[in-house]
Amino acid sequence: MSIRHKPGLIESLAEKIGLIPNLHEEDGPDLPSLTEGGALTDYPPPDQWDDWVEYEAQDWPRQQPKRYMVVPTACFNCEAGCGMLSYVDKETMEVRKFEGNPYHPASRGRNCAKGPATINQIRDTDRILYPVRRSGARGGGEWERVSWDDALDDIATRIRERLQQGANNEIAYHVGRPGAEGYIDRVLKAWGVDGHNSHTNICSSGARFGYALWHFFDRPSPDHANARFILLISAHLESGHYFNPHAQRIIEGMMKGAKLAVMDPRLSNTASMADHWMPTYPGSEAAVLLAMANVILQDGLYDGEFMKTWVNWQTYLEKEHPDAPRTFERFIDALKAVYSEYTPEFAEQESGVPAAQIVEIAREIGRAGSQFATHNWRSAGSGNAGGWAVARCLHFLNVLTGSVGTEGGTSPSGWNKFKPNVFDHPPDQKFWNELHFPKEYPLSHYEMSFLLPHFLKEGRGKLAVYFTRVFNPVWTYPDGFTWVEALRDEEKVGLHAALTPTWNETAYFADYVLPMGHASERHDIISYETHSGTWIGFRQPVLREARRRMGDPVNFTYEANPGEVWEEDEFWIELSWRIDPDGSLGIRDHFISPYRPGEKITVDEYYRYIFDHVDGLPEAAAEEGLSTLDYMRKYGAFEVEKTAYAKHLKKLDDETAAGAEVDPETNTLVADGKTVGVMVDGTPRAGFPTPSLKQEFYSQTMVDWGWPEYAIPTYIKSHVHPDELDRDNGEFPLVPTFRLPTLIHSRSGNAKWLNEISNRNPVWMHRQDADRMGITTGDLVRVTTEIGHFVDRVWVTEAMKPGVVACSHHLGRWRRKQDADGNRWSVNLVDIQEADGGKWHMKVMDGIRPYESADRDSSRIFWRDGGVHQNITFPVHPDPVSGMHCWHQKVRIEKAREEDAYGDVMVDTEKSFEVYREWLAQTRPAPGPGGLRRPLWLNRPLRPAEETYYLPE
Amino acid sequence: MQYGFIIDNRKCIGCHACTVACKSEHEVPLGVNRTWVKYIEKGTYPNTARHFSVMRCNHCEDAPCVEICPVTALYTRKDGIVDFDPRRCIGCKGCMQACPYDALYIDPDTHTAAKCNYCAHRVDIGLEPACVNVCPEHAIISGDMDDGSTEIAQLLAKEQVTVRKIEKDTKPRLYYIDGDEASLTPGETATSDNYMWSSQSDGVGHFARYIEERTAKADPEDMIRQLGGTGQEEQTGGGQNDADGQNGAGNQAREKTGSERENGKGAAARRVYDAPDKGVLWGNDVAAYVWTKAISAGAFLLPFAASVFGYAVDPVLAWAGCTVAFTFLLATTILLVSDLTQPKRFLYVLLRPQWKSWLVLGGYALTLYGLALTLWAVAMWTGRTGAAEIIGWITAALAVVTAVYTAFLFAQAKGRDFWQSPTLVLHMLLHAVLAGAAVFALILLFGLPGEAWTAFVRNTLIAAIILNLLVIASEMLTPHPTADARKAVQAIVGGRYRGYFWVLGIAVGNLAPVVLAWTGSEAMLVAAGAGVLIGLYATEYVWVRAPQDIPLS
Repeated sequence: MSIRHKPGLIESLAEKIGLIPNLHEEDGPDLPSLTEGGALTDYPPPDQWDDWVEYEAQDWPRQQPKRYMVVPTACFNCEAGCGMLSYVDKETMEVRKFEGNPYHPASRGRNCAKGPATINQIRDTDRILYPVRRSGARGGGEWERVSWDDALDDIATRIRERLQQGANNEIAYHVGRPGAEGYIDRVLKAWGVDGHNSHTNICSSGARFGYALWHFFDRPSPDHANARFILLISAHLESGHYFNPHAQRIIEGMMKGAKLAVMDPRLSNTASMADHWMPTYPGSEAAVLLAMANVILQDGLYDGEFMKTWVNWQTYLEKEHPDAPRTFERFIDALKAVYSEYTPEFAEQESGVPAAQIVEIAREIGRAGSQFATHNWRSAGSGNAGGWAVARCLHFLNVLTGSVGTEGGTSPSGWNKFKPNVFDHPPDQKFWNELHFPKEYPLSHYEMSFLLPHFLKEGRGKLAVYFTRVFNPVWTYPDGFTWVEALRDEEKVGLHAALTPTWNETAYFADYVLPMGHASERHDIISYETHSGTWIGFRQPVLREARRRMGDPVNFTYEANPGEVWEEDEFWIELSWRIDPDGSLGIRDHFISPYRPGEKITVDEYYRYIFDHVDGLPEAAAEEGLSTLDYMRKYGAFEVEKTAYAKHLKKLDDETAAGAEVDPETNTLVADGKTVGVMVDGTPRAGFPTPSLKQEFYSQTMVDWGWPEYAIPTYIKSHVHPDELDRDNGEFPLVPTFRLPTLIHSRSGNAKWLNEISNRNPVWMHRQDADRMGITTGDLVRVTTEIGHFVDRVWVTEAMKPGVVACSHHLGRWRRKQDADGNRWSVNLVDIQEADGGKWHMKVMDGIRPYESADRDSSRIFWRDGGVHQNITFPVHPDPVSGMHCWHQKVRIEKAREEDAYGDVMVDTEKSFEVYREWLAQTRPAPGPGGLRRPLWLNRPLRPAEETYYLPE
Repeated sequence: MQYGFIIDNRKCIGCHACTVACKSEHEVPLGVNRTWVKYIEKGTYPNTARHFSVMRCNHCEDAPCVEICPVTALYTRKDGIVDFDPRRCIGCKGCMQACPYDALYIDPDTHTAAKCNYCAHRVDIGLEPACVNVCPEHAIISGDMDDGSTEIAQLLAKEQVTVRKIEKDTKPRLYYIDGDEASLTPGETATSDNYMWSSQSDGVGHFARYIEERTAKADPEDMIRQLGGTGQEEQTGGGQNDADGQNGAGNQAREKTGSERENGKGAAARRVYDAPDKGVLWGNDVAAYVWTKAISAGAFLLPFAASVFGYAVDPVLAWAGCTVAFTFLLATTILLVSDLTQPKRFLYVLLRPQWKSWLVLGGYALTLYGLALTLWAVAMWTGRTGAAEIIGWITAALAVVTAVYTAFLFAQAKGRDFWQSPTLVLHMLLHAVLAGAAVFALILLFGLPGEAWTAFVRNTLIAAIILNLLVIASEMLTPHPTADARKAVQAIVGGRYRGYFWVLGIAVGNLAPVVLAWTGSEAMLVAAGAGVLIGLYATEYVWVRAPQDIPLS
């Protein structure tokens, strides 16, 4: 409908005689509507994506048609990898905007704030457009532009030299946001290095370990949309791993009548949406969960049928009650007895949550039965010593209610996650890198990544070539100054190449900063357990794809991206090829095209192979007359399985079943001493991938590896338990992990619209505490940790549990005077001084300021406060079992002193080393049974050859 | 056909995706928003709740912004969408005063008004607005409310909904399911420049252009002091004024944080996140224009009235009045134009007129008044006294319109409750008379004419002051019907503006002059005139600004 203004007499006349401009000249054409009668639809149909025409919003109400190529890709901000459609302006060949991709099964055309803000990241005037090499001292801030060729040759030569020396363990790749499925694992295996290091042990491995003990899979896949009761120990309506996909389904479930309960000492947005907010004292969550288990048991609300078949209760009775009759009834009696000590009153005493509320929720959970969806990702699982027990106790409730793998229940992650079938599988590496998996942490679920600088400091090894990728430990990790000390030491870190789309505090200490693409500038495939289905998403460099569609293809992604911004996939192919120029190392063999013998594989061929081997994809593509690769280029996503429940009931194949014997005691099928199936009503079933193939209530693994006290789900008191605090001395537990709905770690500092919404991180304190201390909103406080302090403002609130304080993540970014301009929407200018004995002082010299740039918005920044860097004042707290960094801090809060200024940070790295040693001393090192470094059955990232699992005699 | 929005608060999770998607679709500059999410918290621990409310244009059926817009830059489409055309906008900011929902802003790039336009450019090709598409929860529902088959029509039929400020009678087409009264009523919660994860140190939107200037001048050391201050008040250090002397938005916001410092005691609702404050939109330019306009009108009216009442007015006085009237009319025009964010388009008011707007009617009144003054002068000069008398009556009538039309314009500014007062017409008229008397009191300095005239000026001044005090008293003492109007009164008599009001407005502007005029001497009368003019300016300043401090959202 074209609505044009009709001028009056005076206006017509004035326009005619030229007194005022004529605004009534011919307008652009009326474009056709996608709908009739004023109905509205969400997205242009795919058949118009190659030449989509819409009115330019900036010119409106003038009707100026704008032609776009619509190309799907996937968001690269949080891990969820939601689908996005990019609108490539066909005239300028620039991306104009991002919207959701309606064909993406998880995000369903919708995004959080971080999706559309991707355009800010693409257009960021501070972004790194070309590879650079440091030209002065490391960390000195001087850089020179290099060609990709020079960078590749230099790095490849160094790697080759180390590999030839057998120093494979000196090559490491350390990743923050992976955003891909296994690509790098294949590369590292091809190189023969045990070089995968990740951020997971400062992120989610606490909860992961708790889940893995139950059933190998280390994450939950809650079916929120079909649940009757949802229990979250996380904030999935505002953050969390799969924020947008989960938030959609949680609310969907609630609109269908599900009740939501949330544990969090802070009133998160999620907690505020909940029917029940349980403001638990940090670390007390497991006590509350076990009290709920107690209620469910005592009230008989458990699912006896499920438990009888699928819990390894026989083993429990055998080990813990050897003289008792091996009956399920006896097991239930034992359970009731064991958990009777977790009374609601005890839970109230630990958590501060009223016993009556705990009982009420427990009964609601019991009544929800198999439609009980739960989730713990980071939160309590990542905050506390013994935090891994939280997920374990949470899943216990799923087991009790029989809601494991059910509709509306909680499935293991692996059931809803697609594993790509790659064209070539290099052999498992013959190395075990003890910098990543040291003997002290045989059960550490992921690499002990945050101890790397401490290990280097102790002389446990060194790194010849160290890649950091979308990874910023100096800022994000605890004890960042210890990272600075390690990274600047060329003896310990020979070459540091930072693969990053944007400047960050870690890249300041690199030798090469290699710009890698944002969401729409790279290839990846992704698949996550966002709901009860299984899908794959395809992230693609959209300008490259647009040029291909327009008949102007490029060979490498950096040719189409802004500047020479590249992508890792092609980088690794090129690097691998150069590490092994003559093929003598056997590396090249793994980068040969499956379609063109002897030729170097292309990134298109890599994905073509995967897509050709996705169940159902070739058929779906054929229906549209497309190759699988073209199908994915067109739609950006594919639904592999709509729903998947009860996969443990998969019938065992006849061959395996035939060769096995039934153990009458446990009803399991055993072949060659290994459990291979579970008999259920006479049918052999696959079960869960644990040693018992059942849900392991009783963990022989914990017993075998020296933790018999944790054989069954237990409450472990946190390092910030009230017993550990001296309240009279102003001590508080600090919850430093809370995330904002708009920001993502240290990667969103380049997104102006996100920083416009959230730009500071005051310490949240309840009114009672503030009144007691004579503090009001805006006052400065000094927050003293074990190794230093930071100075921040206070936000006095009713949204915080009294006696607990919290400070959000993401803010307090910095650059020193010598560092390149980057992320100026969120980066403070600081001065860092180092004194003898590892004493570091950081002072904020300037806050956020408007500045001139090609983006006029940079001169309109209206905030000055860039927040305060808190993580750098935290020591490492490696959980002695899971290896997870326990984020919560015992801090002392006092009013700022005379000499304190906003943003001050002081850290003593000698002290932080002592704290590291204290926590290290709590470990129970390998070997385990049979001289193993770690249990064979548990997952390990980049799993090496089995022989490396055994410690040398 | 009638497009509308439902914001379903059962589903809204406060994620700000709509805010950012809108920014992306329309490339909305930093600091201003077409849609945003306001957070408020209620209750005390553990019964604390946070409420999210999506704020934006309500696409009112009776849109005050459309009515006040002098140039049809804002208009209601047949499908109910209130759209705008930046090419027509002159930047008078009338729409921002008229909209009770704080939906508009001045785009710092185009210097024209902008707001949510329901993504009309998308709707016209059948696409949902960008915010509807992005929302993870489908908590924003769009569609034709007249078509019973649409989701929005069915929801409206089934669910209980609320609108913002129903008393404004604008008939909003944006409805909230589970609308939270405390969130939708701006006065329920105080604004602040420091929220739970955001802060505002500088002006935004219209005021953004002053940031550069300010930061170029700023001393980094001072910046640290600002950041390091222990309280919000101490951050006011920057307080440079913008071009016409008014404070930028940030400083504006700071004045209002008092109640926040009570640590949110009690269960009262607390605003914990909101979009930046846009600041005072009509500042000194507008206050000054009301003042010069009163002088211009009064200067002609006073000798004219005198002669009507039978005083023999010396033609020199009539000439003096005409000259002052003309000069101040010119000043009025200059001030009016300089207050526009698109000053070069000032002629649009006359040449693209939207006849319901009092800006247009006022613009024509000013123009005709100027014309009449000229004609009167010509008639007088050429000795055509008969014609001059007739023209004099017309000129006087136009002088009255010139004096009082602003009251109707302010009344059209529906967002500002305080300006809805019916006595504003009288207030404006009296100000013109006062200004006229004051001008002629000052002219006594030149030792002009006779006792009768002096007595007339004196008596007029005294009478007008007494009447003026009565009107002001009635405006301050009569209970205003709305909380926002009462707040403005409070700010004037007991708050931020009490100094301007009591000292300059009342004491210097009324009480002292009445005493001085009474006492008799000519010198005293001159001083009284000066006092009145100062007082008038202070009063206009206070009247123009005070209601603008009260947040509309």
